[in-house]
Amino acid sequence: MTGSLTFLGIESSCDDTAAAVVRHVPGQPAQILASIVEGQTALHAAFGGVVPEIAARAHAERLDHCVEQALAESAVALADLDGIAVTAGPGLIGGVLSGVMLARGLALATGLPIVGVNHLAGHALTPRLTDQLAFPYLMLLVSGGHCQFLIVHSEHRFERLGGTIDDAPGEAFDKTAKLLGLNQPGGPAVQTEAALGDAKRFAFPRPLLDRPGCDMSFSGLKTALLRARDAVIAEKGGLTVQDRRDLCAGFQAAVADVLAEKTRRALEVYAALNPARPALAVAGGVAANTAVRARLQTTCAQAGVEFLAPPLRLCTDNAAMIAWAGIERFRAGDYGSADLVARPRWPLDATAAPLLGSGKKGAKA
Amino acid sequence: MRPNLVLAFDTSAAHCAAALLSGDRVWLKSEAMEKGQAERLMPLITELLAEAGKALADITAIGVGTGPGNFTGVRISVAAARGLALGLGVPAIGVTRLEAMAFGLPRPVTVVEDARRDEVYVQRFDAGGAGVAQIMAAGVTFTGAVAGRDGLQSLPIAEAIARIAAARAGTAQPRPAPFYLRGADAAPSSDPPPVILEA
Ligand SMILES: Nc1ncnc2c1ncn2[C@@H]1O[C@H](COP(=O)(O)OP(=O)(O)OP(=O)(O)O)[C@@H](O)[C@H]1O
Ligand SMILES: [Mg+2]
Repeated sequence: MTGSLTFLGIESSCDDTAAAVVRHVPGQPAQILASIVEGQTALHAAFGGVVPEIAARAHAERLDHCVEQALAESAVALADLDGIAVTAGPGLIGGVLSGVMLARGLALATGLPIVGVNHLAGHALTPRLTDQLAFPYLMLLVSGGHCQFLIVHSEHRFERLGGTIDDAPGEAFDKTAKLLGLNQPGGPAVQTEAALGDAKRFAFPRPLLDRPGCDMSFSGLKTALLRARDAVIAEKGGLTVQDRRDLCAGFQAAVADVLAEKTRRALEVYAALNPARPALAVAGGVAANTAVRARLQTTCAQAGVEFLAPPLRLCTDNAAMIAWAGIERFRAGDYGSADLVARPRWPLDATAAPLLGSGKKGAKA
Repeated sequence: MRPNLVLAFDTSAAHCAAALLSGDRVWLKSEAMEKGQAERLMPLITELLAEAGKALADITAIGVGTGPGNFTGVRISVAAARGLALGLGVPAIGVTRLEAMAFGLPRPVTVVEDARRDEVYVQRFDAGGAGVAQIMAAGVTFTGAVAGRDGLQSLPIAEAIARIAAARAGTAQPRPAPFYLRGADAAPSSDPPPVILEA
């Protein structure tokens, strides 16, 4: 496949319903002709986390509207498409299933090929969509549901160097916000408070830093935050605004420390490959955190590695990355299969030992 | 004008069922299964079309079972119907399982269908129209004609959906949406936020 390819992408694996149209002409940067993302934050707000059944209900009634909107905005007709790419896992099965069935219906009706995309592969290939990054590069996925280091060798070979064995950092940020009475999503709220706080006042652990390798753990941080909070409350009967800022600062500094040190180790493993253009790319909402980002940038600079952060709307869940991953697979000769099935669990690197964790947002990989 | 051809399907319970309706002719395919409907539905539709000697492009409307029933099963069919409708450029029309069960029966009739968890779905249909669909304890008894349980025999569900969809196809219809009748079973988070003290 050497010509221009235009793909529809469909994503519904967590709490964003998304559709996009992406076109790629070999030798040129890919064009995102439309990228529609409909979030569900308000639907889940009362429950302190994504409720799978509520998410599934919303996806089932929104997906086709998103697809129509993406086609209209891009002025691309179904007949102009070369294929359909849909997230087939991992994620919340109810949403994934709705996306896969919608895509299968569309494919049957139009005769278009359908490529099942691993959601994590979508994130991991995004630096090629935005920056034409060459293989192999190092990827840090750090979001509400995931945290892992991957060496991206090709559009289908991902080597996992390590990941969280329990919660993802975004989940820890959200939980912290909840424990401190801040708004959801917690990341931005905690960051704002932390900027005005003293990171040294409360001692937070740096889980697993004493152990070799790139695995991480964040659930202990949550517990430490709860203890520190309750100690202050026991003393004063509540938290002052400054207490809260200091707690946020201490928590955020611990997350940033862990991510920076584990990134340094992952970069060492990656350097052994002697990549021509060594680069670390990040994806996921937590990569938007300015403190985390500053630490990662420093770590990369020290290692002589380029730091690459795609724009936030392409770092968080979206369907442009799914369309793009579909295009990459298609070019590599994977023309998809009409009998595509949804897979709640689908590790990118099947050779790596399974991670223990299965976060609040559901078992991932 | 091309002749009407309605494709209908349902996966709201332990089956994967599809029907084609063209004028008075009906083709049916139904298989009992607890799970696997997501994998089976599209091949089943393709096989049904082949048996009827019809092509996808001949379809003029889609009827889909919207439940109540298995949440995931209902979404499988509704999502597939929306995808097919978008791809073919034809309307998709939702029909509830209770409407389908009442179809063609003398009225008044009360439709009673197993809802698991020792409950039943209940809806009454009389000459004037349909009552409100409800969930009741499984032990409840009804006076008058009952469909479902050991009562009157309904048409095969996919055929009933096809016939109802055919009747509705002439007028504008909302997109098919799952008819859950049960909530999502989510509990609001319990721990209250901490008291924030004035500085
Ligand atoms: N500035 C920030 N600092 C820290 N965390 C942040 C920031 N902005 C967003 N986040 C966190 O990022 C997460 C959302 O990111 P994203 O959309 O990538 O993940 P998700 O959809 O929740 O999960 P996933 O994509 O893994 O299924 C939330 O947990 C949010 O709190
Ligand atoms: Mg998201």
